Amino acid sequence: MSNKRRLWQIFGPVICAIVLLIVVFQLPWERTFSKDAIFQAANSQTLTVFKGVKMKQEAYDDGYVPFYGSSELSRLDPMHPSVLAEAYHRNYRPFLLGGPGSQSLVQFIGMQGTSEQLKNKKAVVIISPQWFTKQGQNPAAFQMYYSPLETSIFILNAKNTVADRYAAKRILMMPGIKGVIKDGLQKVAAGKKLSDYDRFMLKRKLQVLKNEDTFFSSLQMRDRVQKIRQRAAKLPKRYSTAALTKIATETGEKHTTSNQFGIDNQFFRTRFNKQILKKLKGSQKHFNYVKSPEYSDFELMLSQFAKQGTNVEFIIPPVNSKWAKYTGLSEKMYQQSVRKIKYQLMSQGFYQIADLSKKGNKPYFMEDTIHLGWNGWIAVDKAVRSFMAQPDGHYNYKLKKYYFTKKWQNQTQVGSVNKKLVKSN
Amino acid sequence: MINLQPYSNPQYFLILLAALLPIIIGLYFGKRLKIYEALFTLVFLVLTFGGVKWQEGINLLLWLVFEFCLTFAYQHYRKQGKNKTSIFYLTVILAIIPLTVTKFMTTQPAGSVPFVVGFLGISYVTFKTVQVIMELRDGTIKQVDPGTYLRFLLFFPTISSGPIDRYRRFKQDYDKAPSRSDYITDMQYAVRYIFQGFLYKFIIGWFFGTLWLPKIEHQALAVGNMVGGLKLSWWVVAYMYCYSMYLFFDFAGYSLFAVGISYFMGIHTPMNFNQPFKSKNIKDFWNRWHITLSFWFRDFIYMRFTFWAMKKKLIKNRIRLSQASYLIDFLIMGFWHGLTWYYIVYGIYHALAIIINDIWLRFKRKHQKQIPHNKFTEAFAIFLTFHVVCFSFLIFSGFLSQLWFGWK
Repeated sequence: MSNKRRLWQIFGPVICAIVLLIVVFQLPWERTFSKDAIFQAANSQTLTVFKGVKMKQEAYDDGYVPFYGSSELSRLDPMHPSVLAEAYHRNYRPFLLGGPGSQSLVQFIGMQGTSEQLKNKKAVVIISPQWFTKQGQNPAAFQMYYSPLETSIFILNAKNTVADRYAAKRILMMPGIKGVIKDGLQKVAAGKKLSDYDRFMLKRKLQVLKNEDTFFSSLQMRDRVQKIRQRAAKLPKRYSTAALTKIATETGEKHTTSNQFGIDNQFFRTRFNKQILKKLKGSQKHFNYVKSPEYSDFELMLSQFAKQGTNVEFIIPPVNSKWAKYTGLSEKMYQQSVRKIKYQLMSQGFYQIADLSKKGNKPYFMEDTIHLGWNGWIAVDKAVRSFMAQPDGHYNYKLKKYYFTKKWQNQTQVGSVNKKLVKSN
Repeated sequence: MINLQPYSNPQYFLILLAALLPIIIGLYFGKRLKIYEALFTLVFLVLTFGGVKWQEGINLLLWLVFEFCLTFAYQHYRKQGKNKTSIFYLTVILAIIPLTVTKFMTTQPAGSVPFVVGFLGISYVTFKTVQVIMELRDGTIKQVDPGTYLRFLLFFPTISSGPIDRYRRFKQDYDKAPSRSDYITDMQYAVRYIFQGFLYKFIIGWFFGTLWLPKIEHQALAVGNMVGGLKLSWWVVAYMYCYSMYLFFDFAGYSLFAVGISYFMGIHTPMNFNQPFKSKNIKDFWNRWHITLSFWFRDFIYMRFTFWAMKKKLIKNRIRLSQASYLIDFLIMGFWHGLTWYYIVYGIYHALAIIINDIWLRFKRKHQKQIPHNKFTEAFAIFLTFHVVCFSFLIFSGFLSQLWFGWK
């Protein structure tokens, strides 16, 4: 065999492999998802969907509204927003974003890919005071929810602003950031411009990640479609709060027979035994949600909404009062953190707040310890329904840099907000 | 300043191959471009040990100067025809001092050592130096050529994690350029090894190490803490298998890269793995697993100790002698892995396994007629060896330490 031929035999396949690699990774592949796939994705709370972009984009263009939240979103009882929207053929469908451990920082990253789609549209945020711990975003949870795809988009769009520099700094504090993304974030954090080479490499990386998202995000989604349809079918044909409250109370009653806290039986059985219960008694006495870096991370979410001109409804959930009493969680502290969150919102022009934080003692309002359920979801729906009736349009907010400071993170007392003053500014 | 970690991602291979191209073309035309090769090595060393790792780079330089002085001082001494045992011992001890200090320092609690200790691959270059000193003692190496020695120690493809080549073998390859037809065959192997390495390290190894292992670890810890006592659960078994597979595919993949790149440079760096999970017994396993390391230990620890003990008539019984040698051999290997209980237990465990294996082999030889030998017994032998080995990797992983004591 001639040497030339041998060389071709050795390197031919290598060249083919490289060409194939470029075709698969670097060509901008397009695809559209079916309506069923989008519906499944919207209710799956699957990590790949959260971290992806394509499905969210398509969904928001098709009447879905993002519900940014955390673990309460998975309490899929008959009054869950997804079930009610399905049962009463609302003009929107919730796209559930978040799960256990997701906090403002990962939500902020998760918003980067859809800023075009949410321009002048609506969003709902269930903002739990439990996010506002001393540590802020939990690093282990961050690694689960961290989306290199949306972080790359963030870096490529970043400007030398307080918010972008702060975001880059915060993300860099988290584990698992590496390669061109890390380099890019370091530049954004330092207020430096990306070089052409940086941009080129990031765009290549972005294309790989986009293709990965396009091809693989829809695989292995949690399927809750049947569950939602079944539950929706069982609800009364005509919407009436009274009828729903009756069903919610009855269901709640049936499901909380095993304990004195009003906690769902299954939750109680799988999470607690005598030993754990004993340990938990009085264990949350020192919990403090008033001082937290989370306040500035939350400001990142707000700045993203402001950039998009998005109309946002905020829902502040309570904790189960009986449970809080048992664990020693201070109601005073809880209300203090709620005041601080509301101050941050209203002083910047985010007025649509459903403050449910004092309703933790209402019967069957909470499904378990800290998660909304049954009657709680009905209260959420009341707020969401009137919110969704508003026409779409551009909303202006007045952001303040102060909320990115340590001083604000540690501030304990807040004044009252004069609505008129903020508006006329 | 950029920093590149060897074989860590696909871009690295593109950069590496681009830089290798002149060497490849040179070899194809029968020329070894030694000066370019030296420059290439220098650039890649700077990329590996520069940037954020600059302290390691300084350590590498200091180490090189020290070992060079030592090796050539000893060569000078040997050239005068002197061959005192005490001087030889002293030289070897001095040669391994940097490695020993590094091993000791890295087990200190984080933050208690105010400077960066050692550098990536210090073990492997130390093995190479010790081997040269020992061969100078034996007289199998008469003259070390400084240029070749430097290239041998810093041979880029293998500097970070082996395989551990031998000086004389390396020199033979290095002093000549292969014929065109031989070199094409080399490239054929190189491409095959590198692609096999991609499959091993970046695909299979990723599944075991990055996708599954953390999940299994999390479950094993959670369930373990719930059941209490020894904290054992089936998850620990799952961890054992998953970690063993990860360890093999990750390391074998890495070694394949190193060998593949060496072949592109016309150097036949020896293979490190040969289907280890097909081993029929522990001895067979160590002939197939991390081969260059186990052979190094065999030649420079096991054999040395055996001859020395025989000469000194420390142990007369040959069987006892080999058992003692195994124990020392694996104990040192354990200590080399790190000064933690689970590495040392791993060493002792393998020593015991190989001693028991020897006893069994002797027993089998004596009772050949009574003991059946067929496909089934062979399959059983492979199964048993595999599990003995996997269990040793569970110890080696340090996971038990994490489970029981909360630290690794």
